[in-house]
Amino acid sequence: MKALQKNIIKEITKTKSRFISILAIIAISTGFFSGVKASSPSMLRTGENYFESKNLMDIRLVSTVGFDDDDIRAIKNHKDTVDVMPGYFSDQIVNINDADQVVRVYSLPEKTATNSKLINETIVNEGRLPMAEDECVLESYYYNVGGYKIGDSVIFNESNGNSKTKDVLRHTEYKIVGSVSTPLYITYQRGNTNIGSGSIAFFVMIEPSEFKSERYTNVYVTTTAGKDGLSPLTDEYKDMIADQKEDYSKLSEERIKIFNNTTYKDAKNKLSDAEKEYNDKKEEAEDQITENEKKLHDGESELQSKLTDGENKLSDGQKELENGKKELESAQKEYTDGIQSAKQKLTDAEKQYSSGKEEYTNAKHTYDSEMEKAQGQLDTAQSEYDTQYSLFYGTIKPQAETKLTLLKAAIDSCNEAIEKTENSVSELGKNVTLEGEAKKSLDEFKNKLSEYKSKLADYQKQYDDGMSQLSDGEKQLTEAKEKLSSAKLEFQQKKTEASDKLNDAQIKLDNAQSQLEIGKLEYNTAMTTGAFELQAAQSKVSQSEQELLSGRQELETQKASGLNLLKGSREKLITGKNDARIQLRDAEKKLKDARNSIDQMKNASWLIYDRDDNPGYSGLEEDALRVDNIAAVFPVFFLLVAALVSLTTMSRMVEERRTEIGTLKALGYSDTAIASKYFIYAFSASLLGSIIGAVAGIATMPFIILDTYSIMYTLPPTILVIPWDALAFSAGTGILCTCMVAVITCLGELKIKPATLMRPKAPKPGKRILLEYITPLWKRMNFTSKVTARNLFRYKARFLMTVIGVAGCTALIIGGLGLKDSIGVIADRQFRQITIYDEIFALSEPGTKDDNSYIMSKFHSDKRFKEAILVDQEWVNIKYGNGKQIDLRIVVGEDPQVFKKMFILRDRLSHDPVELDNNGIVINERLSQVIGKNVGDKVEFTLNDKKYTSVITDLTENYAGNYIYLTPQFYKKLTGNEVRYNVIYTQLTEEALADEHEISNEYMKMDEIITVSLLKDQLDAITSTLDSLNVIVLVLVFCAGLLAVVVLYNLTNINIAERVREIATIKVLGFYNLETANYIYRENIILALVGALAGLPLGKVFASFVVLEIQMDMVMFPQNVEPVSYIIGFLLTIVFAMFVNFAMYFKLRKISMVESLKSIE
Amino acid sequence: MQKNFVQFENVYKRYKMGEVTITAADGVSFSIDEGEFAVVVGLSGAGKTTVLNILGGIDNCDEGRIVVGGKDISRLTGKELASYRRYDIGFVFQFYNLIPNLTAKENVELATQICRDSIDAETALESVGLSERMNNFPSQLSGGEQQRVSIARALAKKPKLLLCDEPTGALDYNTGKTILKLLQNKCRDDGMTVVLITHNSAITPMANRVINMRSGKVISNAVNPSPVPIEEIEW
Repeated sequence: MKALQKNIIKEITKTKSRFISILAIIAISTGFFSGVKASSPSMLRTGENYFESKNLMDIRLVSTVGFDDDDIRAIKNHKDTVDVMPGYFSDQIVNINDADQVVRVYSLPEKTATNSKLINETIVNEGRLPMAEDECVLESYYYNVGGYKIGDSVIFNESNGNSKTKDVLRHTEYKIVGSVSTPLYITYQRGNTNIGSGSIAFFVMIEPSEFKSERYTNVYVTTTAGKDGLSPLTDEYKDMIADQKEDYSKLSEERIKIFNNTTYKDAKNKLSDAEKEYNDKKEEAEDQITENEKKLHDGESELQSKLTDGENKLSDGQKELENGKKELESAQKEYTDGIQSAKQKLTDAEKQYSSGKEEYTNAKHTYDSEMEKAQGQLDTAQSEYDTQYSLFYGTIKPQAETKLTLLKAAIDSCNEAIEKTENSVSELGKNVTLEGEAKKSLDEFKNKLSEYKSKLADYQKQYDDGMSQLSDGEKQLTEAKEKLSSAKLEFQQKKTEASDKLNDAQIKLDNAQSQLEIGKLEYNTAMTTGAFELQAAQSKVSQSEQELLSGRQELETQKASGLNLLKGSREKLITGKNDARIQLRDAEKKLKDARNSIDQMKNASWLIYDRDDNPGYSGLEEDALRVDNIAAVFPVFFLLVAALVSLTTMSRMVEERRTEIGTLKALGYSDTAIASKYFIYAFSASLLGSIIGAVAGIATMPFIILDTYSIMYTLPPTILVIPWDALAFSAGTGILCTCMVAVITCLGELKIKPATLMRPKAPKPGKRILLEYITPLWKRMNFTSKVTARNLFRYKARFLMTVIGVAGCTALIIGGLGLKDSIGVIADRQFRQITIYDEIFALSEPGTKDDNSYIMSKFHSDKRFKEAILVDQEWVNIKYGNGKQIDLRIVVGEDPQVFKKMFILRDRLSHDPVELDNNGIVINERLSQVIGKNVGDKVEFTLNDKKYTSVITDLTENYAGNYIYLTPQFYKKLTGNEVRYNVIYTQLTEEALADEHEISNEYMKMDEIITVSLLKDQLDAITSTLDSLNVIVLVLVFCAGLLAVVVLYNLTNINIAERVREIATIKVLGFYNLETANYIYRENIILALVGALAGLPLGKVFASFVVLEIQMDMVMFPQNVEPVSYIIGFLLTIVFAMFVNFAMYFKLRKISMVESLKSIE
Repeated sequence: MQKNFVQFENVYKRYKMGEVTITAADGVSFSIDEGEFAVVVGLSGAGKTTVLNILGGIDNCDEGRIVVGGKDISRLTGKELASYRRYDIGFVFQFYNLIPNLTAKENVELATQICRDSIDAETALESVGLSERMNNFPSQLSGGEQQRVSIARALAKKPKLLLCDEPTGALDYNTGKTILKLLQNKCRDDGMTVVLITHNSAITPMANRVINMRSGKVISNAVNPSPVPIEEIEW
C-alpha cells in the first residue's frame, strides 16, 4: 500500500494545476456561500449582544399627560415588569447654519428609587457625561458629521412653536462635554415629531433635573420577555411583547381613570371660568367696533354728497367752455376765409402787374433796339451819301470837266486842222494839175484829214460819254439824296409808332399797379378785422377754461380733505379693531391652550411602544434577512457550476489513468484500493478547497458586507458567527460531488477487463460533422475554420461543459448586475411613476372633506402647489397563512381626478390603468403575493379594531410598501362612516421645488398642520438602505468572475492536456508559437462566445429568479435588467476568457516537441 | 549535389535527470551529402533520436555546430527554428502522429497551408499511392497507410531534408518494407536527402551512407557505394 500512497502524492504533484483547479473551484463556492451566510447571523448577533449588554428597554410608555410617581409605582409593580426607568424628553429647535433643526432632548438614564439598573445605557465615545447642570452630551453620529468639539454649545431657540423653551428646560444653552451613542438608535434615523420640519435631526442628553416638568414624559420598561436571555429576534419574544403591550394597555386604562377624576376635573373648572371672562371681553370689544364702524360709514356718505355737488358744477363749466370753443372755431373760420379771398385778389393783382411790367419792358426794349438800328442805318446812309457827293463834286466832276475841256479843245483843234486841211486840199484841188509832189501832199493831207476826222469822232464820243457819265453821277446822287430823305422819313414814322406802343404799355402797367394797391389794402383790412374777432373768441374760451380749472381744483381739494378725514377715522377703526383682535386672540390662544391641554387631558392615553418603534430597529432584521436571501440563491448556482466542473475534471482524470488502473488491477490490487487513489485525490482537493474557502470567506465576506451596513448602523464591532450548517452544506456538496464522480467513474473503468484497460483507449476517431454535408458552406470555409469546426464537434462533452460553465458565469454576473439594476430603479419607479408627490402634510385632526375645506382652499389658492388632495391613510393589518399578519395602509383619496394624477394605479406589465370602483378594493401586487389572494378573492382586514371584508377588484403595480386603495364611497359603504382624512398629499410646481423646506416650514406654522414629510427624505432613506445591497452585488460579481476564470482555466487545461501530442506534432510541422496558440484558442474563443451568449438568456432568468427570491414582504423588486448589464456580463466573460487564454499561452509554449515522438501510452 | 550537405561538428547534448546527467550526444561529428539516403543505426539509447531531434530543429544542442545546407542551425532562435522546420524539414514519426480529427488529405493540408511552396495535397497523396483513401480519417486507415500519409505530409512541404524516426517501428515486416521502398524511391528518383534512424542494422545495405552510433558517439560513418534495393534485403 505504501507504493500506492506514493503514487497518490506523485499524482498530485504531477497534476498540480488540475488539483489546484478543483481546490480553487470548491474554495470559491464554499467561501462565497459560507461567507455570505455568515454575514446575516453576525449582523444580528452583534445587534443582540449590543441590546442585551446595554439593557435596551422592551417597552417604552409615553403618556399624553405625563406620569406621576404613582403611575411609575403601578408600572413597577405590574407582573410583566422587570425594571422601570422614568425619564423626560422634549423636542426643541436649534438654529444651525441659518436653518432650524429639531433636536430631541433626552434625560440621561439614571438610577432612581424605582429602578435597580440603568436601562438604555449610553456609551460615551468621547469626553464624559454631564456633571454640571448646563452641560450636555451630543450624539456621536451628529457630533462627527457636524464636526462638533467638546466645549461647543447647543443653543435652543426661545420657542419650539408649541411652548417656550424656558417653560420646559432650566437652561437654553448647554455646553457639550462629550459624545454618546444609545441603543435606542442604531441607525442614523432619528424619527419624526410634530414640531419644526417634522423630522428630528439629532438628539442630546442632559441631566433629568434640567426638565421643569413635574410629570415624567416617558417610562422605559424591561419586561420578563427578555429575561432569560431570550433573543429579541425570536418569534417567542415578539409574541410575548405583543401580549405584554396588551397588559400595559389595560394598566393604562386604570391609571387614566384615576387621572380623570383628579387632575382633569380641576383643570376643567378653571377653564370654564376663563371661558366666561373671555366671552364677556369679546362682546365688549365687538360692540365698540360696531359703533366705530357706523361713524365711519356716516362720514363716508357725507363726503359722497359733497363730491356730487362739485361734480355737477364742474360739468356746467364744462358746457360753457364747449360753447366758447365753438365760437372761437367759427371766428377762426371767418378769419381764415377773409384772409384767403384777400390773398387771392392780391395774388391776381400782382400777377397782372408783373405781366404788364414785363410787356412794357419788352416793348421798350424792342423800341430802343429798333430805334438804334434805324438810326444806325440812317447814319450809314447819310455818310455814304456824303462821301459819294463829295467824291462826285470834289473829284469826279472837275476831273471829268477838265477832261471834257481838253477834249473840247482837242475837238476844236481837230476841227481847225480839218478845216485847214480841207482848205489846203481844196486849194490844191484847185491846182488840179499838181504834179507828183503836190499830188502826194494832197493825198497826205487827205489822209490826215480822215485821221483827224476819226479822231474827232473819238473825242466827240469820249466827250459825250464823259458828259453822260457826269450827268449819271449827278442823277445817282440825287437819287441817293432822295432815298436818304425817304429813309429819314420812314425812321421818323417808325419812331412815332413805337413810342405809341410804349405808351400803351405804360398805361397798362399803371393800371396793374393801382389794382395791386387795392388788393393789398383789402388784404390788410381782412387781416385786421379777422384778428380782432379771433381775439375776442379766444379770450372767451380762456375765461371759461380758467373757470373750469378752478372749479375742478376746488373739488379735488374738497375730495382730498374728505378722504383724509375718512382715512383717519378708518385707521382709527382698524387700530381699534386690531387692538381688540390682538387682545382677543391672545385671550383666545390662552383659552385654546387651556382647552387643548384640557382636551389632551380629556383624551389622556398612554402610548405603548416596543423596540420595533425605535427608529431603524426593525431595519436591522430586514437588512440581515435580505443579505441572507441573497446568500440562499447565489451560492447554489456557484455550487452547481463548481460541481459540474470538478465532475468533468475528475472523470477526465480517471479516463487518462486507464492504463494505470488496468495495470494495478492486473497486479491484483482490489477495486477499493485502486478507487481509493482517486477518492483520496478528489477528497483531499475538495476538503482542502473547502477549508481554505471557508476560512477565507468567513474571515472576509461578513466584514466586507457588514462594513457597508456600518455606514447606516451605529453598532459595536461585528461579532462573527460561524454558520456551521451552511458551511457543512457547501463543503459537503463540493466534497460529495467531486468524490462521488471520482469513485463512480473509477468503478466504471474497473468493470472493464484489465487487458482491455491496458491497451490504450483508441483515440476518438475523426468523424464527419453535420456541417460538412452543407457543402456550399463547408467549401467556403478555410482550412483552419474547418479544423476548428470539426474539433469543436468532436469533443461534444467538453463543448457542453465549457458552454455550460461559461454560461453559468455570465449568468451569475448578469444576475448580480440585474439585482443592482432592479434595486436601482425602485425609488424612481415608486416615487416618479407610481406615487407622485413632493410633500405630505399631516393634519392635526382628521376630518371630513367639509371640515378641511378651509385648509384645502389655502392649498388650492397657493400657486406653488400643482396639486393637493385630501387622503385618508390608516394602518390596517391582514392575517394570512398560519397566524402570520402583515401591517399595511389603506389609502382613500378624496378627489378621484386628482387622485389619478398622484397615485398611478396600473398594471405592472401592460401599464393599463387600474380603475377604482365602488364595489371593492384594489391592492398592490406584492401584497397579493404575500397573502396569497388574487382578483376576485375576498380579503379580511382589521381597521381600528374592527374587521372588514371586501372583494379584490384589481391589482396594481407598487414597489415600496403595501397598500389597499378604495374610494370614499366604498369606504363609507364598507365601514358605515364618513372618511376622515388625515393627510394632504401635494405636488409642487417646478419652481417651488427649490423652496420646499420654506414651504413646509410655512405650513407647519398653521394650526391645522402637524407634520410635513418630504419625498426627498423618504427617497434618501430608501435609497441608502437599498444601496448597501450593491456591495453584495459587487462581491457576487467578483466571485462570479473568479469562478469564470477557474472554470475556463480548468477546461482549457483539460483541452490542452488531451491534445499535447497533437500540439507537439503541429509544432514539429513548423507552426509558430502564435499559430499553435491560435489553433487551440480559436476553439476556446468560440466556446467562450457561445457560452457567454447562452449566458445572456440564462442571466435574465437567473436575475428574475434572484429578484423574486430576495424581495421582502414590504418591498417588491422590479424585474429590470438594463441592456448594459448584459453587455458587461458578456464582455467580462470574454475578458476572463482572454485572460485565461493569455495565461495558457505560456503553458502551450512549454509543451516539448519531443512529446510527439513518444509512444502512445 | 552538395557535399557535406549536413554537417555535425562535435555536438554535445546533456539531459539532467535529477542529480544524474545523461550525455545523449557526446561529441557527435559526421556529415551527409545532398541526395544521400543516410541511415543512423544503433541500439536503444545510443543517442540517434537525440541527433535526429537536433537535426530536425525540435531540440537544441549544448555544444557544437550543426550546418544544414550552409545554414548554422545550432545558433537559431526559437522562431527561426520554427521557420527552419517549416521550410526545410520533413518529419516522419514512428507513430505517424496524424491528427485523428482530420482526413488524410486534410492532414497533408495542415502542413502545406503553412508553406510558401508546396506540393498539392492530392498530388502528394497520389505519389504515395493513397489517392483512393484521401478522404478517410486516420482511424479508417491501416498502419502502413497512415505512415504513407505521414510521409506525404512530410514530402508535400518540399523539404530539403526528410527525417524519419523509426518509420517502420510500428509496422509489420511487409508493410515496413513498402514504406522503406517508398522512401528509397523518393531519394533515388527525386534526389531527396533522407536521414533515417533505426535500431535494425539489417536494413543498412539499402543506404548510401551508414552512420553507426553507440553511447552518444559516432563509431563509424561509412559510404556504401552500391546500395541494394530494399526488395533484396531480408531480415
